[in-house]
Amino acid sequence: MERKKIESTIIDFIETNFEMSDVGVDDDLNAVHGFDSIDAIELLREIETLMDGKLTRDEEEAAMGIRTVRQIVDFIEKAMADRA
Amino acid sequence: MERRVVITGCSAITPIGCSKADILENLEKGISGVGRIRDDELLVEQLNTSVFGTVDEDLAYDFPRKFRKTMGPVSFSACRVVEDVIRQSGLDKTSLSSGRVGVAFGSSHGSTAVLKRVYQACFSAQSTDMFAISAADYLKSMVHTTAVNITRMFGITGRVISSPSACTTSSQSIGFGYEMIKFGVQDAMICGGSEEYDTTTVAVFDNLLACSTHYNDTPHKTPRPFDADRDGLVVGEGAGAVMLEELESARRRGATILGEVIGFATNNNGGNLIMPDLAGVTQVLKMGLENAKISADQIDFISAHATATRIGDVIEARSINNVYGNNPWVSGLKSYMGHTIAACGVIETILTLYMMEQGFIVPTLNLDQVDDRCAMVRHIPHLMETEIRCAAVQNFAFGGINTSLILRQFSPQSSKQ
Repeated sequence: MERKKIESTIIDFIETNFEMSDVGVDDDLNAVHGFDSIDAIELLREIETLMDGKLTRDEEEAAMGIRTVRQIVDFIEKAMADRA
Repeated sequence: MERRVVITGCSAITPIGCSKADILENLEKGISGVGRIRDDELLVEQLNTSVFGTVDEDLAYDFPRKFRKTMGPVSFSACRVVEDVIRQSGLDKTSLSSGRVGVAFGSSHGSTAVLKRVYQACFSAQSTDMFAISAADYLKSMVHTTAVNITRMFGITGRVISSPSACTTSSQSIGFGYEMIKFGVQDAMICGGSEEYDTTTVAVFDNLLACSTHYNDTPHKTPRPFDADRDGLVVGEGAGAVMLEELESARRRGATILGEVIGFATNNNGGNLIMPDLAGVTQVLKMGLENAKISADQIDFISAHATATRIGDVIEARSINNVYGNNPWVSGLKSYMGHTIAACGVIETILTLYMMEQGFIVPTLNLDQVDDRCAMVRHIPHLMETEIRCAAVQNFAFGGINTSLILRQFSPQSSKQ
């Protein structure tokens, strides 16, 4: 999947399901939009749906340090590359 | 020094209405909120009873998602009534977050609707995917979910008391909240309870042969507390909240005072977990009066627990007679809406406050012929315009827990208890 497509899918998911608006690629999701740990777990499940596969425990723990959409997209690209 | 505790807000979601106006209208007209049980496509077909105290209004729980995402239905109702109570009381955000305002609130379980979905995911033959359980499912279904969704939504940082004790959940909440203020631990407490529609609760009582089954085709004729033809209880849903405050701080704020809590007692029968106990119930009624420092003849009205079970109503009538004689008027408010379990104590307290304010008492609905074994108390025969200066609200629960709350009409001229 192309990076732009991943980015738009993630932003669309966040804005629709978490009722957050005008999410910028470099916004600190917690500070700007109130994104919290519950939202993070739900987002991980959506990422697994996008990848059509399970994340490892190490990947999930690494994901807990993510703060921006750009970092989410970097994370997904790396996870997909690791599985290619 | 013991401080006086007053009520500065109250709100209820009940099968007879979700606003004070609707509740009063249905009480005055003698309209029952009991109807056919909603089909859950799971247990309803297997139940002997087909009746339930249903909240018919389609309420909007339009809270922001950041609050909604940790709420099951039981917490939606809880936060809705608490929102109303906070608005009525006039307490501002600074006060709520000061650490001097706490919450005493509970439900019989956490959200059972959410739990059922979790277990269905766990046991489904189609899926062994544990991630069908969402991140927030525990938060929605944990037993203290109502109390902490309230603290989260309204920024409350004081004490949290979450004592789920089935039918005495919210009466204990009010009582423990009263004690927090009386003894100076907190200045205000949001107290109450919530019970969501849940057929497993109905099934428990149904399996114990405690549910009403003879009026499945005429739901409004049941439950029938104290009536010779009563045949058991009707489970219902609902929620209620009251704001309790220390009197002087309420006065300084110019808050509208709806009534005063002057006594609370709770005990346990120390024995059978299901059957009510005459000695235990009699004792708690005495203790309530002692705690309020009033005599039995000062009580004008008793809101009886009166679930309409064959034995429970008899035990209660005898205990009322033991303590109060046949002086105060007695009414079983569950006759209008069924047994709202965790919410019944606070809902019955609120209805008593409404009647205290309006100056009337409603009769027990469906009390066509008083059972001889319940005839030793003063059943109110029809709606009567009469002053309620002091009232007792009593509730008893599975597990043998008993409560008695004593309320008094608030008099601005009154300077001491």
